[in-house]
Amino acid sequence: MLSQTLKYAYFPGCVAQGACRELYQSTQALTQALGIELIELKKAACCGSGTFKEDSQLLEDTVNARNIALAEELNLPLLTHCSTCQGVIGHVDERLKECQKQDPAYLEQVNGLLKKDGCLPYRGSTEIQHLLYALVKDYGLEEIQQRVTHKLSGLKCAAFYGCYLLRAQKYMPYDDPYNPQAMENLFQAVGATPIYYRGRTQCCGWPLASYATKQSFKMAGMHIQDALDSGADCMVTPCPLCHLNLDSRQPEVEKVIERKLGLPVLHLPQLIALALGVNPKQLGLDRHIVSTRPVLKKLGL
Amino acid sequence: MQVLFKIIRQTKNSPHQVQTYLLETEPGNTILDCLNRIKWEQDGSLAFRKNCRNTICGSCAMRINGRSALACKENVGSEVERLQIQKNAGSQLDPIPEIIVAPMGNMPVIKDLVVDMSSFWNNLEAVEPYVSTDARQVPEREFLQTPEERSQLNQTGNCIMCGACYSECNAREVNPDFVGPHALAKAYRMVADSRDTDAERLEKYNQDTAGVWGCTRCLYCNSVCPMDVAPLDQITKIKQEILADKNVPDSRPIRHRKVLVELVKQGGWIDERAFALQVTSDYFRDLKGLLSIVPLGLRMLTKGKFPLSFEHSEGTIEVRSLIESVQQQRGQGSGVRGQGLE
Repeated sequence: MLSQTLKYAYFPGCVAQGACRELYQSTQALTQALGIELIELKKAACCGSGTFKEDSQLLEDTVNARNIALAEELNLPLLTHCSTCQGVIGHVDERLKECQKQDPAYLEQVNGLLKKDGCLPYRGSTEIQHLLYALVKDYGLEEIQQRVTHKLSGLKCAAFYGCYLLRAQKYMPYDDPYNPQAMENLFQAVGATPIYYRGRTQCCGWPLASYATKQSFKMAGMHIQDALDSGADCMVTPCPLCHLNLDSRQPEVEKVIERKLGLPVLHLPQLIALALGVNPKQLGLDRHIVSTRPVLKKLGL
Repeated sequence: MQVLFKIIRQTKNSPHQVQTYLLETEPGNTILDCLNRIKWEQDGSLAFRKNCRNTICGSCAMRINGRSALACKENVGSEVERLQIQKNAGSQLDPIPEIIVAPMGNMPVIKDLVVDMSSFWNNLEAVEPYVSTDARQVPEREFLQTPEERSQLNQTGNCIMCGACYSECNAREVNPDFVGPHALAKAYRMVADSRDTDAERLEKYNQDTAGVWGCTRCLYCNSVCPMDVAPLDQITKIKQEILADKNVPDSRPIRHRKVLVELVKQGGWIDERAFALQVTSDYFRDLKGLLSIVPLGLRMLTKGKFPLSFEHSEGTIEVRSLIESVQQQRGQGSGVRGQGLE
């Protein structure tokens, strides 16, 4: 047993409160099943998904310094369940921690803006952690394995990590960003079989989806095909933005690459919660664009 | 230390094959040292590019254990260390460390590790990587640049044109029109140069998806660049210049950026319904754009996925005023081009 209850300041992000509410729901269900305590940051704001920076670096840093300070106030690590939120906020945290030593004037500028608008200053006293690494590093694969009630035997899972989780932060102590293992290890811990394919570390195409649809869907299509051809029953992603392009847009993707796909795409907490015996209904698995029924059928659920 | 080199070999227009070479190495041996020894001691037919062996010329970029890098910069020791991280994370690995060497991506193979870089060079040429002609008409005295102005060119000036970023670029893979990260990093070097007077530069880089909007922000270029040029950061700076220019007409990629910031000011979080509508339909002015997302909306409705409500962040007022303060401060000191004119 874990010696103490894990507790996080939970940053829900936009997509999990909007088009992917099933992610919000399944993170709740999973953490409850594992006895992880989440304090939701109700006053937090959008991380900017890499777009604030295109307006200005100061905007990205300031808004996210505020987000981080909300977690610091609670003396808790900030938990994300989105690769993009993780990469953006995690990188801001890295940069600002460096500034504490190398460019205190810039940090003062950021904190000056925060104070002026009645926000707490950034202190650099916490960590930014994605749910994936909270599970494999903080909670532990063995602990998860012990709690599995429905082994996902025979289910072939293709991980789709998301760019920002792998390449936005400088330091990645657990994984090699070009050949990560965390998702695959989790699959094995719950009895599923990992599928290795090139696409798992590549871009889903979401950032282009609003204006360069053809290129964006070609990108998604390439990786979905690759996963299918490697024998995957489903994709599993720790990023709801990837989920939007891979699942919600899959019918359009099929048109662009002229091939029927129909590959279910699961959110990471949905998959793990299934193995812990959580009811599929509670995980919003009926609210995907590509039906998840083949996955449930294969698992006998 | 014994190392097994698995080299992906290929001749033009034929399928590749894997050839293995066992080598006795020291941790300090570079991958290039090892390739040289393979060529000199075991197999003279192996083809690869090399020159300075000192991370200056940029000739020996290739894919080493899954990512593009300079063979003269990476060594056996650091590759074995990477394998160790993978092993600690649970990978099943063979007792003799394996180093897989493959040609760069996004360019056709000529032979073995030598690729045809024509598109790479043509795309560089396409951004006109020269300080503009006006500025090159020799005046009575030299062009003077302050140390601050010169320092703007340091990071992009470090590029050695090795092709590592281009090789991994996810956007280039699906879009042959996209000029690529190396070209856009150089493009920013021109934008930032106080001597450049080409007024149309930003307009050119703003075109369709050939320029900055073709980038999908996969971050591979930043991650693999051996010289810390951080091409994505340079692309971002060009976007900042374009977005700050009020004379640039709204396009969909530009609306994507502006609407996002506006919606965060309104709700703290993004109301995705408003986002999709405003970006694609241009506030109902672009009917074709609007129609293009109708199927998505309907699909989401039938699956119960469509968000029927939106909840503001409890910190909305704070965030709005924070964003406005940042925008005000930024308005006082605008982008590099603005500063150059002062």
